[in-house]
Amino acid sequence: MKRRFDIYAMTWRLPIIFWQFLFFVGPLLFMVAISFFVVKNYRMTEAFEFVNWQKMFSKGYFWDSYWYTIFIAALSSTVAMILAFPASFALAFRASDNLRRWAIFLLIIPFFTSYLVRTFSWYVILAESGVLNAMLGYIGLGPFKMLNTHFGTVVGYLTLTLPLVVILQTVTMANVDKTLIEAARNLGCKPLATIWRVILPLSKTGFIVAALFCFILSFGDFVAPFYLGGSQEPTLPILILDTTKSGQQWPRAAVVAIMMMVTLFTIAFAAIALAYRKGGAK
Amino acid sequence: MSEPLVTFRNVKKHFDDFVAVRDMDLDIYPGEFLAIMGSSGCGKTTTLRMLAGLETPTAGQIHIGGELMNNVKPHERDTPLVWQSLALFPFLSARENVEFGLKMRGVAPAERTRRALEWLNRMEIGEFAERNITTLSGGQKQRVALARSLVMEPKMLLLDEPLSALDANLVIRMQAVLTRLQKELGITFVYVTHSQSEAFAMADRVVIMSQGEIAQVGSPKDIYRAPANRFVAEFVGRNNILTGTQVSQDGNGIVVETPSGTFIASAPETARSDGSEVTFVVSADLVSLSVEEPQDRNRVLCTLISEEFVGSMVTLFLESSDGHEFKVQMQERDLIELDLHSGSQIWLSWAVENAHVLDGE
Repeated sequence: MKRRFDIYAMTWRLPIIFWQFLFFVGPLLFMVAISFFVVKNYRMTEAFEFVNWQKMFSKGYFWDSYWYTIFIAALSSTVAMILAFPASFALAFRASDNLRRWAIFLLIIPFFTSYLVRTFSWYVILAESGVLNAMLGYIGLGPFKMLNTHFGTVVGYLTLTLPLVVILQTVTMANVDKTLIEAARNLGCKPLATIWRVILPLSKTGFIVAALFCFILSFGDFVAPFYLGGSQEPTLPILILDTTKSGQQWPRAAVVAIMMMVTLFTIAFAAIALAYRKGGAK
Repeated sequence: MSEPLVTFRNVKKHFDDFVAVRDMDLDIYPGEFLAIMGSSGCGKTTTLRMLAGLETPTAGQIHIGGELMNNVKPHERDTPLVWQSLALFPFLSARENVEFGLKMRGVAPAERTRRALEWLNRMEIGEFAERNITTLSGGQKQRVALARSLVMEPKMLLLDEPLSALDANLVIRMQAVLTRLQKELGITFVYVTHSQSEAFAMADRVVIMSQGEIAQVGSPKDIYRAPANRFVAEFVGRNNILTGTQVSQDGNGIVVETPSGTFIASAPETARSDGSEVTFVVSADLVSLSVEEPQDRNRVLCTLISEEFVGSMVTLFLESSDGHEFKVQMQERDLIELDLHSGSQIWLSWAVENAHVLDGE
């Protein structure tokens, strides 16, 4: 059939297309353009030079920050996936349908409040004289330095991602065909072994998507590394802020931002490809 | 017969308030093809799941090979099951599916691959060994599921309505595959089904279950020709069932008075007293038709209501003067000679030895 230009349909499509171009594609192209601008006497001037790219790529602190951000986001995603698993497993396989519905509803509640506020509440808990150290003090441990450390950063990331990961894992595992677990047991598979022989392979897509979300949210987060991690080791979002502040280097900040996007694109693409890959020949 | 391989003694299974299986006593013998048949919710699948250890009996004992199995975990048993949904692992190839059980038993990789391929070849699907399960057809998946269970070389194979997802032609072919396999391997098959044709075509013995209880156990022929009670008579299809009162009995037969007439069935004398309520049964394929009034003592004049054709067989539905529905099954070519049409009057008759009398209404 020949495709006709449908005015009625276009009337509905145009606003969103317009919106996306104006506020997403436009700024993105502008950011790419800015990365070739130069800063002279603390003022940004139009140009087309590779000096910002060369400068950033040759700086040790950029690469340190780059690999640190990837590392800490990956670490936090791994921790989130592991911490969430027992809870998700219980909700998916042990809880009644009703309890599972309630649990998922309750897990959404953290998103009602600002992430920034929730992060600040960790101050009270993690501080040198905070709740956690006081409790550890009673059993003769500590005090431990938890604020302004990698630990603080990871705690912050988990605040953001853990409820989401539990939801995604639960929903994924609740859809696992219970007959397949019984079939594995019937063929001599021990109860615990069914987790990695059957449940995890069947949950692969959902788990990779959960881990990917976790990584993306952590990788781009500014709040946790800034307030709980104390910018000790600056992550890329902090580096962007620092770069714009020091000497109005918007073009170099644009380089960092583009590098972040390229990295996330690559990782997301690889993860999705992996998530939907099938075993055996077609 | 030899020692039973499996014994059920007073086995009960409750799910909260629901009684799935009550007071079951059953022996299953080595090398037999046993079908457990019944409508949904009769407890047949629960019985099979108890054999596999997927359900624990609420009371009673199940022994397999002389060992008490009540609390033996599923993975510690040698009771592979072929599932209704097949339950093949979609993330594994056909060969890896077949290898799964061997892997769990710790068989070395080279050995388990060899055995898996051997079984896939035996099931005539060797060429699909490396294919993803999701790309196989229904019949091919069926064969993978069978291979996956049989590669374990069990003494007993459990099958839970494995053919219910296949189309009719394939069902007939798979029935042949199953019966041949069972004879070749000489192992016990316990086959759960709601389909009478599957059970009767394949099984040596059939167990008919109703509401958690065994209604009858016997060879397909016994059950078909001599139903033990009214439930079985109704369940096994084309029977004419009449409710009546026993008038008299002697060594040669039992006379029963029904609203449609007084009939006689040859049966040994029973303890039942005259005047008790009984059910009179005669199979639809053992009733003959005639235009002239027949000499048989069992005869009734009926009006033809409708006909139903299945292949070369035809089932006639007729009505006696009191409004009771009679069924007659016959070859289509025999029907043509009678030249019947809807509303025709015709005599039904049957021999005394082809009728049965059962207790109760």
